[in-house]
Amino acid sequence: MLKKGGPYELLSDVIESDLCIGCGACIDLCPYFKSYRGKTAMLFPCTSSEGKCFAYCPKIEVDLDELSLHYFEAPYNADPLGYYRSIHISKAGREMGGASFQAGGTVSAIMYYALKKGYLDGAVLTDSEGLLPLPCFVTQPEDVLRCSTSKYAAAPTLSALNRAIRDGYGRIGVVATPCQAQAMALMRVKGIEEKEDPNPVHLVVGLFCTWSLDFRALEDFMKERITTESIEKIDIPPPPAEIMKVYLTNGAKLEIPLDEIRELVPESCSYCYDMTAEFSDISVGVLEGRPDMNTLIIRTERGQRLIEEAIDEGYLIVDEIPEDALAHLTWAAGRKKKRALTKARDGGMINTIDEDKRSIVRLRTEILEKILVASQGCE
Amino acid sequence: MSYVIDGQAGSSHLLMGNEAIVRGALEGGISVATGYPGTPSSEIIELLAGVAKERNLYVEWSVNEKVGLEVAAAASFAGLRSMCVMKQNGVNVASDFLLHLASSGTRGGMVLVSCDDPGALSSVNEGESRLFAKMVEIPLLEPGDFQEVKDLTKWAFELSEEIRNIVMIRSVTRMSHASGNVEYGSLPDGKAHANFDFHGPLLDQEKGPVISMLVSAAESQHGPQQEKLRKAAGIFETCPFNTYKGPERPELLIVTSSACNLYSREAIKALNLDKKVGILKLATTWSLPRNMVKGHLALTDKIMIVEEVLPTLEENIKVLAAEMASEIGIKTFYGKRSGHLPSIGEMNPDLVIGALSSIIGQKRPSIPVAFAERARRIIDEVVPKRAMTFCPGCPHRASYWSIHNAIEMDNRKGFVCGDIGCYTLGMLPCGFSTLKTVHSMGSGSGIAGGFGKLKQFGMDQPVVAVCGDSTFFHAAMPALANAVHQKSSFTLVILDNSGTAMTGFQAHPGIAANAMGEEMPALDIAAICRAMGARVEKVDPFDLEGTRRALNEIMEYGEGVTVLMMQQACALSPQRKGRKNYDMEIDEELCLGEKCGCNRICTRIFGCPGIVWNKEKGVSTIDELICVGCGVCADICPQGAIKRREAE
Repeated sequence: MLKKGGPYELLSDVIESDLCIGCGACIDLCPYFKSYRGKTAMLFPCTSSEGKCFAYCPKIEVDLDELSLHYFEAPYNADPLGYYRSIHISKAGREMGGASFQAGGTVSAIMYYALKKGYLDGAVLTDSEGLLPLPCFVTQPEDVLRCSTSKYAAAPTLSALNRAIRDGYGRIGVVATPCQAQAMALMRVKGIEEKEDPNPVHLVVGLFCTWSLDFRALEDFMKERITTESIEKIDIPPPPAEIMKVYLTNGAKLEIPLDEIRELVPESCSYCYDMTAEFSDISVGVLEGRPDMNTLIIRTERGQRLIEEAIDEGYLIVDEIPEDALAHLTWAAGRKKKRALTKARDGGMINTIDEDKRSIVRLRTEILEKILVASQGCE
Repeated sequence: MSYVIDGQAGSSHLLMGNEAIVRGALEGGISVATGYPGTPSSEIIELLAGVAKERNLYVEWSVNEKVGLEVAAAASFAGLRSMCVMKQNGVNVASDFLLHLASSGTRGGMVLVSCDDPGALSSVNEGESRLFAKMVEIPLLEPGDFQEVKDLTKWAFELSEEIRNIVMIRSVTRMSHASGNVEYGSLPDGKAHANFDFHGPLLDQEKGPVISMLVSAAESQHGPQQEKLRKAAGIFETCPFNTYKGPERPELLIVTSSACNLYSREAIKALNLDKKVGILKLATTWSLPRNMVKGHLALTDKIMIVEEVLPTLEENIKVLAAEMASEIGIKTFYGKRSGHLPSIGEMNPDLVIGALSSIIGQKRPSIPVAFAERARRIIDEVVPKRAMTFCPGCPHRASYWSIHNAIEMDNRKGFVCGDIGCYTLGMLPCGFSTLKTVHSMGSGSGIAGGFGKLKQFGMDQPVVAVCGDSTFFHAAMPALANAVHQKSSFTLVILDNSGTAMTGFQAHPGIAANAMGEEMPALDIAAICRAMGARVEKVDPFDLEGTRRALNEIMEYGEGVTVLMMQQACALSPQRKGRKNYDMEIDEELCLGEKCGCNRICTRIFGCPGIVWNKEKGVSTIDELICVGCGVCADICPQGAIKRREAE
């Protein structure tokens, strides 16, 4: 039975329990929650017993069947990759020629195309200032390219969505991490009351994510090694690289073992069971062994239509995904799901019944069991 | 012409105690008066400043009580009659110099007036100033009714010249701010002439240099100092201000002083005890006139001491009683040490009535039960519970909004060390409970400088201090110099509202005027801070976002001392009072009220009295009579429902 709550419960169950990932879903819904340099703060106590902040938070009282039924008209299944129509590999097409991308440039191409063609009135993206990610809202296709690099620190991107909705925008596209995509699914299911347009988000492009980094911890870590103003770009190449590459403005390059970087991962990420952003229209990630390409998962009819048109007009190039890449992706996603739900189950944070104990997630016992006992064969 | 000088000798006037002090000082031929604003004393210097031109006075709001006492002392050394005025904790500030002045002695009559605040009605302490007189060994006078306030003040100058030392007068809130009938004496003519004579021998207090003591020669100055006090005590033996009223052989003797004299008289009347209880009202409470006191202690075995806060008079009387025991017998004392009267809070007639009735066994007049019940019900149910708050349009509300939010967003358990002024209210919900330490003038900066040195012990919480523009000059400057020199790390927020606001908007060195309204050079606070080596930034606290961002950036930087000046004039200042910048209105269609997304942030949290919650409609409205049109609330509404329009 899904439990309700308000800002007080959000504070105690999520923020003060080290579960807040700083996705921004609760930021700028009201004057009380703000994000600053990666941390979520409650400025003043709000006395409401129920609130949108709690309802939209992807880290508390999420009923996966409820979301899945709404999005895919089917209950949550145990597939490591979630529901999808097809999987491919992709990269930006000739119409995007000249622009520089992190990997294949698929996300930038999709968003650029959607804005240019008028399928969206605006896009919520993540820009950055040095290491600090900055939520931004753009209406011009050119502005998409400004935000084209990957951000490795957790960003309160959804705060820009909340502001855009409040400013009256509709037909918004969002590039989201799995937790942010889940928050938007919660918004859609639980409703944005008293608004003329009950569904202002018209497109969710989800990003694959294994873990994120705490911004303040990352900044302190980098400051011990370099002056952070000199960072040009950061890249974590696909496996089996196991390093983080830091490109400096003076041309130098730093390589940091991922084991050191993993120390900066927020506790919250260890409870995350979604690697491929299952609640999106389209999900995009890197492709193992091919730094110039992306993995592309098409989940909804809307997503499929957009991709097909983008291909037709030369904004996107799509190809068949190699068997072993798909197998490895499935394995990695399954491992993350199993690890997270095991930890949550052992911590008594799933399907709780007690009056005053809330769950981070609710799902049918048989599905949970299936995930927990799934064999994780070797690579 | 001011009423304090307009009045024939013999005419009767209804005067506040502070007004009576002013009249008494004028009749006493004062030339120089200094002080630092402090409730309940501030009216004295204000009134004297108002008649300074007509009466050829020099009147100064000094930067603090220590300097004020030094300025007044100079006048005395030059042969003029002078007075220094302060509240009780001002004596603590002046006490280092007072200790040394009492030793060096004075020339022209000099009086220190301390107006105490028992019950801390407008203080954050309930300190005792009387003990300073005993500690530095000078005479202490406490007027017990309003005529006496004037007469005693006038006489204090004569006494001071008689013994060649400073005399302390102690008043309390209920003497300074209450009123009674006062008959005027005459004002002196004649011009005072200042000349400082110092050519005599080193230890000649009249003609030589004025020094408190020769090193390693205590007896040379201390002896004469104690002799002066003994001389005063001798004069007190026949002083007409010490009075006895009551039966020849009272069953109980009340020994009292100051406003407690009036409470005791009321208590005796209420209990009909005028045939059984006598009142020895002492106006000369240090050093006690031994024989006079002995004569009255001998009248009965039961002695009750009624005084404010600490049992100071009680203990002094008991010392005498113990010494005289073989002559007058063993006495039974009632007072604070016996538990009959409290040592905390203000004295009042009810407390004296309660104590008297239990000691003497007289039933106290009772309140009819029905009345008491009705009164209790009205208080509980009808009288609204009012919290203290800032004025509408106060810059401190806006400043604390930004400071509080910057600290929450910074998210490292930062805190603010508070100081004294209107902004002390920052420790309450009206200031979003932002202050986490509050002590005395300037102590916020001192303490913050201390916290800012604890990094080596693992302290990583950002440290902020707040301080007003007057407080800055009074006491914060040395703390700032220390912090910069010691390489401490903290942010000093100077809340510059262009005046000493809490006490009635008096001038200070940062203002281009003095107590007497003359144009004076204004010292530049930012330049002083920069000269000390601090980084200085300025913001307008009414720019909420700009202020919050500036403080967040400073806290992030986190090294050394940064001064952030928040400059915006007080809502009651001459430049803003009565002037509306904006007309404010709330669009009820846009107002979310209690709903998710707002939950009444304007009335429930921001709390400006100009915004009122309409329970029936479930929206906020502007109270046009109270709103002063500062426009700040328009920026806190998440819906943009609060509209501001430039006023004509």
